[in-house]
Amino acid sequence: MHFIDATVDRWQPLVEGEPPRDHALLSLEQWNARRDHWPRNVPTGISLPNTADVEELATEVARWSLIVLHFPKWTDGRAYSQARLLRARLRFGGEVRASGDVLVDMLPLLQRSGFDAAQLRADQDRANAQRALHFFERGHYQGDVLQSRPLFARSI
Amino acid sequence: MYQYTDFDRHFVHARAAQFRDQLQRHLAGQLSEDDFRPLRLQNGWYVQRHAPMLRIAVPYGELSSRQLRQLAVIARRFDRGFGHFTTRQNLQFNWIPLHQSADVMDLLAEVDMHGIQTSGNCVRNITTDALAGIAPDEAVDPRPYCEILRQWSTLHPEFAFLPRKFKIAVIGAREDRAAIGWHDIGLQLLKNDAGEAGFKVLVGGGMGRTPVIGTVVSEFVPWHEILVFTEAILRVYNRYGRRDNMYKARIKILVKAEGERFVQAVHTEFRAILERDAGGREHLIPQAELDRVAHHFTVPAGVVAHAAQADDTHTTAQSLPVAYQRWLERNVHGHRLQGHRAVTLSLKRAGQPPGDATADQMDAAAALADRFSHGELRVTHDQNLLLPWVRSDELRSLWEEARHAGFATPNIGLLTDMISCPGGDLCGLANARSIPIAAAINERFDDLDLLYDIGDIDLHISGCINSCGHHHSGHIGILGVDKDGAEWYQITVAGSDGSTLSGQAAPGKVIGPSFAADEVPDVIEALIDTYRAQRQSGEHFIDTARRIGAPAFRAAADAVRRATAHAEAA
Repeated sequence: MHFIDATVDRWQPLVEGEPPRDHALLSLEQWNARRDHWPRNVPTGISLPNTADVEELATEVARWSLIVLHFPKWTDGRAYSQARLLRARLRFGGEVRASGDVLVDMLPLLQRSGFDAAQLRADQDRANAQRALHFFERGHYQGDVLQSRPLFARSI
Repeated sequence: MYQYTDFDRHFVHARAAQFRDQLQRHLAGQLSEDDFRPLRLQNGWYVQRHAPMLRIAVPYGELSSRQLRQLAVIARRFDRGFGHFTTRQNLQFNWIPLHQSADVMDLLAEVDMHGIQTSGNCVRNITTDALAGIAPDEAVDPRPYCEILRQWSTLHPEFAFLPRKFKIAVIGAREDRAAIGWHDIGLQLLKNDAGEAGFKVLVGGGMGRTPVIGTVVSEFVPWHEILVFTEAILRVYNRYGRRDNMYKARIKILVKAEGERFVQAVHTEFRAILERDAGGREHLIPQAELDRVAHHFTVPAGVVAHAAQADDTHTTAQSLPVAYQRWLERNVHGHRLQGHRAVTLSLKRAGQPPGDATADQMDAAAALADRFSHGELRVTHDQNLLLPWVRSDELRSLWEEARHAGFATPNIGLLTDMISCPGGDLCGLANARSIPIAAAINERFDDLDLLYDIGDIDLHISGCINSCGHHHSGHIGILGVDKDGAEWYQITVAGSDGSTLSGQAAPGKVIGPSFAADEVPDVIEALIDTYRAQRQSGEHFIDTARRIGAPAFRAAADAVRRATAHAEAA
């Protein structure tokens, strides 16, 4: 899991009217407006609301290096399904980042759903986040994005 | 019953350690109450009226005597000496201080127990028929599937923060003893014409403010596909269930709003998982895994079918004590193994709230389980305990010991075998108290001859619209409501849980404005009198209620009305 420090993050939002550049982070609206003319050779990130149907974006994800998924409240679990679909169904291989109300106690769920980066809420402690990832060293019952085989398929 | 593997044991200890870490951060001020709440809820810790309530999972209602003794230890050492068995086959404590919660989780883990997902907006403890594996009318034993579903749904990373709580019930018999139509997912195991096992799948049942009966989403899902099918349902719900309004967030609202589109979405998602997803077929259950889990649910060693020497259930001898005959009639149930019976230990008796058991009673029930039922008990959907492996030639001894321990009230299925939530005495959500209402009704109907004359009837009491006491499905339902700061009770008739006795699952009909607490016993008596006056030969209360309709009952109830809440009279 990669923890994002916003102050030194190379991915910066695209300002309206700004020309295409490396590591520009676009909203879905910006992308929809500019995708036809957006160059294919610049690393591009996109930020999705948790209401976005990622399956509708199936033909576009290959053009992105980063997808930022959003937790408006940490108890709103829609982005877990988005991440899982991006990885398992759309085979997205770039970075999937959690943003918004991201708490350390979400880390095991994030990691197992396909997130590989998290921008913690400002008051969260990174050491606690690291510790949160190591309570279940023997793994879990059901398969997930990291380990697609459930316990019964691992042990039989 | 299921025996924990090394992995299972390690897992619940890991969960207890994780909870202790979260609790310590909370107590140290590093984790706010708002952020801690969903974490403690998913471990079973509610903060209630007086203290936190701990809800302990009893997976599909199966409990060993060893576990029950440990619950008694916890009741004595950390609580005020009693616990409450719930309609979802769990056990609740009410008085454990939060700072001791991690210690209790460790004690539970010692006996392979926990509070994982007994609360919060996640998949809750899976419930089933209390007669699973022993019922004469069973097509397929649901317990191995319950255990496989339990494992799959435990700490599922994608479905830990659903729009709202999510309850699954599974049955494998012709009779529905788990009210599957009232669950977010109701599963009925059956066999197709080729003799293969599979599930009829209902989705979107639920109680609360908007009572809804589940919709059939598939008539037959082959057993080995059930995890994938459940995943499809939960993914559609997680993505599209409403989150803007807590009262419209259950899956029933999505199913109602979308109708056939919901059904199509589930089937489309199901196919997409299997046909397109990386690892999408990994959760098809292999025969070897079903066999491995099913092996845990074989008949206990030493239990063999036999023709009983003296089987009192077949005796019509006048010499048997009347109390014993009544107990045989009401508390003893048929068994698929010849020479065996299932026996209900009634937790419905005068002077104690429905479903409650003291620490001493837990120990006594554990002792009965050891002596008569190979150390195994079940928690029933209607808040009693049940011994699944009783030899029919030991019924008389069991009756005597159960009577001595206070478990032999011969009232199973009768009016005083009522379902009730803990209500406003203990619960922070309740609008009104349930326990005094249950006690008053118990007092009013203390004549066993009268109870037997009334016959089979479901009386269900909820202290608020959250419906933990299943008032919607009661033949008579009582719902606590708050009007101008006072406790009032709305009464319904002709609700059904979906059993053969009760008919197709349906919410009861309200019979007019709410009643004051002290009117409730009079109203219940008026309803019962109406039934007794109007019943035709062989009719149970529910039959008469359905035939003559709510208005007749409303008139009888109004005749004993003395007070009416102003808000409603206006």
